[in-house]
Amino acid sequence: MIISLKDINKSYPGVVPLHVLKDINLSIEKGELVSIMGASGSGKSTLLNILGILDNYDSGEYYLDGVLIKNLSENKAADLRNYMIGFVFQSFNLINYKNALENVALPLFYRGVSRRQRNKLAMEQLERMGMADRATHLPAELSGGQKQRVAIARALITKPSIILADEPTGALDSKTSKEVMQVFRDLNNDGMTIVIVTHDPGVGEQTNRIIRISDGRII
Amino acid sequence: MFDLISEIMATLRHNKLRTALTGFAVSWGIFLLIVLLSVSRGLVNGMESMFSQRDTETVSIRGGYAQKAYKGLKENRRIRLKDSDLGVLASQNANVVGEVTARISNDTSKVTSSKDYLTGGYQGVYPAHQHNDGLKMVKGRFINQNDINHTRRVVVIADESAETLFGKEDPIGQLVKISDLSFTVIGTYETEWRRDTYIPFSTARAMSGGSDQVNNITVKLKDVSTLDESDRAEQDFRSTLGRQHTFADDDSGSLWIWNRFSDYLRSSTAMGAIGMAVWVIGLLTMLSGIVGVSNIMFVSVRERTHEIGVRRAIGAKPASILRQIILESVAITTLFGYIGIVLGVLVSQGIAALVSGSGGMGPGGKDEILKDPTVDISIAIQVTVVLIIAGALAGLFPALKSLKIKPVEALRDE
Ligand SMILES: Nc1ncnc2c1ncn2[C@@H]1O[C@H](COP(=O)(O)OP(=O)(O)OP(=O)(O)O)[C@@H](O)[C@H]1O
Ligand SMILES: [Mg+2]
Repeated sequence: MIISLKDINKSYPGVVPLHVLKDINLSIEKGELVSIMGASGSGKSTLLNILGILDNYDSGEYYLDGVLIKNLSENKAADLRNYMIGFVFQSFNLINYKNALENVALPLFYRGVSRRQRNKLAMEQLERMGMADRATHLPAELSGGQKQRVAIARALITKPSIILADEPTGALDSKTSKEVMQVFRDLNNDGMTIVIVTHDPGVGEQTNRIIRISDGRII
Repeated sequence: MFDLISEIMATLRHNKLRTALTGFAVSWGIFLLIVLLSVSRGLVNGMESMFSQRDTETVSIRGGYAQKAYKGLKENRRIRLKDSDLGVLASQNANVVGEVTARISNDTSKVTSSKDYLTGGYQGVYPAHQHNDGLKMVKGRFINQNDINHTRRVVVIADESAETLFGKEDPIGQLVKISDLSFTVIGTYETEWRRDTYIPFSTARAMSGGSDQVNNITVKLKDVSTLDESDRAEQDFRSTLGRQHTFADDDSGSLWIWNRFSDYLRSSTAMGAIGMAVWVIGLLTMLSGIVGVSNIMFVSVRERTHEIGVRRAIGAKPASILRQIILESVAITTLFGYIGIVLGVLVSQGIAALVSGSGGMGPGGKDEILKDPTVDISIAIQVTVVLIIAGALAGLFPALKSLKIKPVEALRDE
């Protein structure tokens, strides 16, 4: 079991605190390809951010690969993100003044890997994504689907335990969406655990399990 | 470390316009600081060299006109200094007086050679006058004590006068006639605005036909270091001579006194003040540069909220973000600081070349107002250290602000 959530609650503070996640219990096994679906505002991104140690939760317990994720220092959280999690976002979140290769290599910079080694590994990932010929292109010179492939390469370069993707196809047309989903399915076939948040039933159908969330509860 | 630097260079290159604008403020500040510093240093050097050629610890006294009626004497009396005043000044002010010398001036005599003649008379002087008048010998020597003791008929002239009198011939050992007496030229000095002809005091005395008058008395001060002491000594000399020549202590016209030591102290203070002012102006200029950098770094952190969030999400630790922002700031500050330094030094050197090329600004002389207006290496090193510290300071607060950026905030899609 790579992910285990027990009675997770999360509220956003405010004049009227917003109780976004309510008693979430969830397990995800190694090697699963899971989608999280639900209406807009139901709490999908909030849940994914907690899974990705980008955000805190108020109560409950979250184990990531056996490690209790609670009250971590910023440095420990940064290390866990770097070593265990690969992120893929709807808006790609590539750094716009770095070329594809440099973007892919960036996580290893924070791991202290040498430039030469970084670039070699980044090139391998770009090749795997079929993007080797675009290595020196800036994000602005790439199509949406190409950007997302670069982003996936960046998520993969650290050999993470799990890939978390928030609406990875949200900004892509249906044809490109299918291609990107094919990439995820291929990765999953190679044994990678992947969690995808999506609106798109077509995307959900291509995963092995759909977790439906409504008004902060799993249904 | 190399990685970090190239990472920083990449971000700076990406934000070229912003980097350039920020950098310009820094360059300009440093440039002004360097130019101001070097010009003020040049001023100080010029002043010091002007003073150092002359004896600064001296007070020159000439007779004037007593303006006030005193002890039954009428106003408007001519006061004439005389030989005996020298001894009296020395004995009555023994604690502040070193050597007392005098000068006899003759304005009318001609100095003639076989070729040509000079007008302007001669000065009967002591050896100390060489330094008092700031004379630089070109050939031979100045008048010495032996010349005075033996009432020798020797003469020292300006090098340009020597040319008038002897053309290209070596002037040393040549004979000239002054008041029908023949004198041997023993030295020439560099012509500035002065072209006096000097002979030994005793010789001039012997030629003065029984008069005991002197045109000026020069007192070398000793054990005087403050402006107060120097001004008090001057007042004491006035009193002493007032008793000798019967005029009131507060009758300022009775004597013309030039207190070089007080002048020197005053201008030193003024120079110190200029130096201080330059530093203050320079540091304020730099401060505004730093505030500018800090401001821009704030903007930069704001604009890059998203990017910083992405970096955090993929594993950047807070410290590495902090380090990056501060080093960016240091890089901007030092890089453009150095551009400012280089330009500043170039302009200073240009000024230096101009000043020495035109042969100074004195009226036909070589009294340089600016002398060697340059910046030395120690200043450059100090400035580097200051730049790095300034850059770090400028980056510190924006960097601390960047730490407040939570990865999740940054990644929210607008
Ligand atoms: N930082 C925040 N502060 C306050 N409220 C927030 C914050 N982030 C999210 N919310 C609120 O929490 C709720 C859940 O948000 P979340 O982003 O998880 O929804 P979502 O399921 O991802 O929706 P979408 O499909 O539109 O992306 C929403 O009502 C949102 O307005
Ligand atoms: Mg969402």
